[in-house]
This record gives sequence, C-alpha cells and structure tokens, in this order.
Amino acid sequence: MSVSPPPTPTYPPAIEDAVAQICDLLRGDYALSPRTIALLLLQDDPEIWDEVATQENASTLERIRALKTALEKADQTPLAWQIEYQRQLWSQQLAAQVTQATRPPRPQTLADWIGWLCMNPWTGFPILAFVLYFGLYQFVGVFGAGTVVELIEEKLFGTYINPFVENIVRSVVPWQTVQELLVGEYGVWTLGVTYAIALILPIVTFFFLVFALLEDTGYLPRLAMLIDRAFKALGLNGRAVIPIVLGFGCDTMATVVTRVLETRRERVITTLLLTLTIPCSAQLGVVLALLSAYPLGLTLWAGVIALVFLATGWLAAQVLPGRATPFYMEIPPMRLPSLSNVLLKTLARLQWYFLEVLPLFLIASVLIWVGQLTGLFNLALRALNPLTQLLDLPPQTGVAFLFGFFRRDYGAAGLYDLHERGLLTGNDMLITSVVLTLFVPCVAQFLITIKERGWKTALAMFVIAMTVAFGVGFILSRALGMLGVQVG
Amino acid sequence: MATATAVEKPRRRQAHARPTVLIVGNPNVGKSVLFHKLTGRYVTVSNYPGTTVEVARGLMRYRGQEFVIIDSPGMYSLVPITEEERVARRILLSDRPDLVLHVIDAKNLARTLPLTVQLIETGVPVVVVLNMMDELERAGLTIQVDALAQQLGVPVLPTVCLSGQGVPAVKELIYERLAAPHSDLSSRD
Repeated sequence: MSVSPPPTPTYPPAIEDAVAQICDLLRGDYALSPRTIALLLLQDDPEIWDEVATQENASTLERIRALKTALEKADQTPLAWQIEYQRQLWSQQLAAQVTQATRPPRPQTLADWIGWLCMNPWTGFPILAFVLYFGLYQFVGVFGAGTVVELIEEKLFGTYINPFVENIVRSVVPWQTVQELLVGEYGVWTLGVTYAIALILPIVTFFFLVFALLEDTGYLPRLAMLIDRAFKALGLNGRAVIPIVLGFGCDTMATVVTRVLETRRERVITTLLLTLTIPCSAQLGVVLALLSAYPLGLTLWAGVIALVFLATGWLAAQVLPGRATPFYMEIPPMRLPSLSNVLLKTLARLQWYFLEVLPLFLIASVLIWVGQLTGLFNLALRALNPLTQLLDLPPQTGVAFLFGFFRRDYGAAGLYDLHERGLLTGNDMLITSVVLTLFVPCVAQFLITIKERGWKTALAMFVIAMTVAFGVGFILSRALGMLGVQVG
Repeated sequence: MATATAVEKPRRRQAHARPTVLIVGNPNVGKSVLFHKLTGRYVTVSNYPGTTVEVARGLMRYRGQEFVIIDSPGMYSLVPITEEERVARRILLSDRPDLVLHVIDAKNLARTLPLTVQLIETGVPVVVVLNMMDELERAGLTIQVDALAQQLGVPVLPTVCLSGQGVPAVKELIYERLAAPHSDLSSRD
C-alpha cells in the first residue's frame, strides 16, 4: 500500500476543513489521533473538551471554539449528526459491497422460532412455568436442596466431620463459653461453616448452573422482554428480572446483584421485593416440605405471595418518587451454550459468592452466641409471643420464626416437630409458611441490605417485612376462619 | 515546540513492558469468549448487558512471549452514551493499547462498521475480528474478507470464537504485530 487516501470516510468539506485546522492547532499529547480528537471536539464530547483544556493554552481553545461556532452557524444540522450520517452511509455502502447472499436466507431457523416463542406472552408464560418447574423446582429444589444436601450435610458433616471437629475443640479449649462459640449449636463452625459449605454451597451450585445455562442460551434476555411490561407497573423494567430470578436461589446474593439496576429507586424497590416476597431456595425447601401434603395449601401460599409481590411493587412505585426507566436491550440469538463456559462461569460465581457471603454467616453465628449469652434471645422470644397468639398459632412457632431467621432448616425442623406432635393443623402450616416467606429471609440478607442500601433503608425494610408478614398472616388466618376453609 | 516527540510519540511503552491488546466491540459479539480463548483465564461471559461492566485483564503466552489482553465492556460508538461505553473508551484513552481487536458480529456488519471507522480514525492499530461466521453462513450470506480488509486498510480475520475456529490466526497476528524485537509497528503512518 503506497500513499492511498485514508480508508475512512470523508466528512462534508466544511467539517474536514475545520478538522484539519484543529489538527494543526493541537499541541498536547493525546492517546488518540488529532483527527479523532478534533472530531470529538466538534461533537461536543465533554470528557475530550476537559482533556484538551488541560493540555492546550487558552488561545488555542478559543480558536477551536470559534471554528466550531462558525460551523454550527453555517449549517443548522447538528455536527454530531452530520458526522454520524456520513459514517453510516459509508459503512452501509462498504457492507453492501462485500456482502453477498449465497442463497435466499432461511426465513426462520429453529432457534429463531424458539426465541420468538419465549417472548410471545401466550407461549412465553407456559415456557416460563416449565423452566421454573424443571430448572428450579426439580433440579435445584428437589435434587440439589434435597438429595445432595442430605448426603453432604447429614452424612458427611453430621456423621463424620462435625463430631470430629467437636471432639478436638472440646478437648483443646477448656472454657465452655468459647466451646459454644466454636462448636455449640450455633457455633462458628457448626452454624457458620457447616451451613455455608454443606447446605448453601450445594444449593447455590445447582442454582448457578441453571442460571448460567439460561443466560448462555439467550433465554434470560427474552424473559426480561417478556415481563418488562408487567414490571413497568411495579416501577421496574425488564432488567430487574436478573436479581429477581437470582433471588429464588439466594436473596442475599440477589441483593448484591441489584447493582445492575440503573437508579436507586429501582434498587430499593427490588431489594424490598426480595426481602419480602421472593423465597430463596432454602425457604422454598422448607415451604415445599411443610405443604407438600396439602395441594390446596401450596396453591393458596403461592397465590398469597404473588399477590403481596404485586401489591408491594405497585405501592412502592406509587410512593417512591421517580419513574420507571426505559429498557433497551439487544436480543442475542438463541444459542447452544458451551459447556466449559457454563462450568467456568458457575465456578467464578461460586468463588465470588463465597467471598461475599461466607463472612456474613460467620458474623451471624457470633451474633447468636452473643444473643444466647446475654439472654437477648429469650427476650425476643417473649416479644414474639403476642404475635403468634394473634395468628392463633401455638407459641412454639415463635421459636421457629426467630431461629429460622438465623438458620432456616432449624426453623423447619421445629415446625416438623410441632406438626408431628399434632400441634399444627393444615391451616396453621399454611399461615406459618406465608409468614416465614414474607419475613426477612435470613440474617445474612439483612446484613447485606445494610451494606448495600444503608442503615435507614435496611431498618425500614425490616420493619415493613415484619409488619407485612404478621399482618398478612393475621388477615389470612381470619379469612380462612370466616370462610371455613380447611386446608388439610 | 516538541514536534519531534509529537511524531515519535508512539503508543509504545518502554522496551520491557508487555505489549497490550484491547478487545472492543458491541455487546454480545463474543468479546469475552475470545478473551477467554486467548488468555485461558475466565471472565464472566454473558448475554445480558450489565454483567460485563467489570473489565477483565489476562495474560496471553504465545511462542515464549507475553501479551496483556484487556476485555472491555460493550460499546457501540466512540461517543459514549452508557456507563459501559464510557468505561470502554476510558480504557482506550488511559491504557494506550498497542493493538485493538474489534470483534464484529459478521451478521451485523453494516451496523458495526461505524465503530470500526472510528477506531481506525484514532490511529491505534486495529485488527477486525469477524466473528460468528457460522451464523452468517446459516443466514445465507458470505462476506468477501479480503475485499473488506483492503477497503478498510486493516487486517480482517474471520472466526467462530465459540468453537475456537480462527483463533490461532488471531494469536499469530498479535505475535507478528507486537512481539519484540520492535517490529514496524508505526508503518501505518
């Protein structure tokens, strides 16, 4: 290639003239060519103007500004538009010149069809139900949270590792209080480490796997489009689908992921919805276990939670100032995901999750230790008593609520026990499940909400969650009584 | 004034620094997959805007040489509108890469070329990575790669990053362009 003219497009003569003059004026050291700098200046790029202002003297700046003003006077069309138009034109001509059709394009590939079906409301929602049932319920819930957790937590940790660690600690550490802190019922090891590794790790691993698969096939953007309109009514847009779907895996992590949302308003609404209504996989496990024997109860539970979800979002959108932001998204084609990519992504997320969340579990166990040592726990239990009475529930459910906040499976175990002893009816189970779901999911999520949203907002959400949880529980209990509905 | 330095001030660092390659392009064109294939290190690859706001850096080792590879957030234009684009441009400005790989979805050539043009205008050496050639083919289209390269005045490499097809050629070209001893980098002027 010898001295051929520059391959990039030529802009209208007046602009090219100004560009050439600006290039002559520029004396500074820029990362980009003078031509680019000149064009960006003409397009009024604030960052570049700042940069040039620091490098050039006042008279140069004045002359550049004069050149720009003269151009703007001569032609009313915005300079940015003129420049961009020329580029587009040039690009289209070049693209047309080098692109050829080998055969008439296939009207629709199978992937296009599947993609379209996912976004069409009539087929999209059934597909969503299908994905939720098999991906979330069967794979993550039943297999991950059930079979695998049982194997790891009960067999591996319960039978082998924990007794071993306990023995060592009890023989090495003489003080009982410290023993409790480490390997007591809610110890740093027994609750913090065991909970994180034996219970949460397998569940979120399975969840991340499904999530990565949905992401890499191109399903998630389509889901975002599908429910964008519905979310607008809640003051959100399709972007919020990511944290909401993640919430079914772990609300704590989903709260972190609200960072992808653009405005503070959207982040607050989404965090509130997560705190209040979205059951995490651990909560789902408990509820499904409690209500699996009562199909009517399970349906009512889902209905009540969905209702609260919509009502909360709608109300929050009315109360919080601001509007839903527009949502533009490029819809990539449906693709077969690459397995290695899915696995690597799952691994990367797990690593990130552990760094963010494990410390919170450790803090939680220390908090419980303090709570028991100081008798704060018993105080809190007594405070819960009037509430359980209000819902016509036996006082022992208070223990489940409180401990459930720290350790979900413990709360569930307590409820099982009550059920076995015949203290809980089907209706009680339904009400307990609803309250448990609406209640702040766990101490880790509460802590992360403080970190992400600040003290005041987090505290307000805690109060709202408490109020709504017991309020809805109360209404439900009265409604069931008045209508004479017997769940089981 | 320091005209000599102005001419001689290439984006080359000191001799001991590793050459830097910046990957740019629209969202969802396979930037992160290419990054992963070049460096062997993982970065979150996603169909969803917002998840790649973080910038990944990795090291590519090839024929005993090391190159720094930077994966930038998706951008449509050098004039930024979104936060992602702002970040991407800031990397271009502050890291002063020795080579820019512009990854293009071959199916969207006409829509993407304006960014190619802007990149070439910056004076940074540009290589066009024409990705998703398989999807182009499935759409019943072909692109005359040589003609495109000639018109643009920069190398154009067809790839299918997901399967790795064409990636060795990208590595080879990076090596050819940037490996020490100092090759004729500034021959474009």
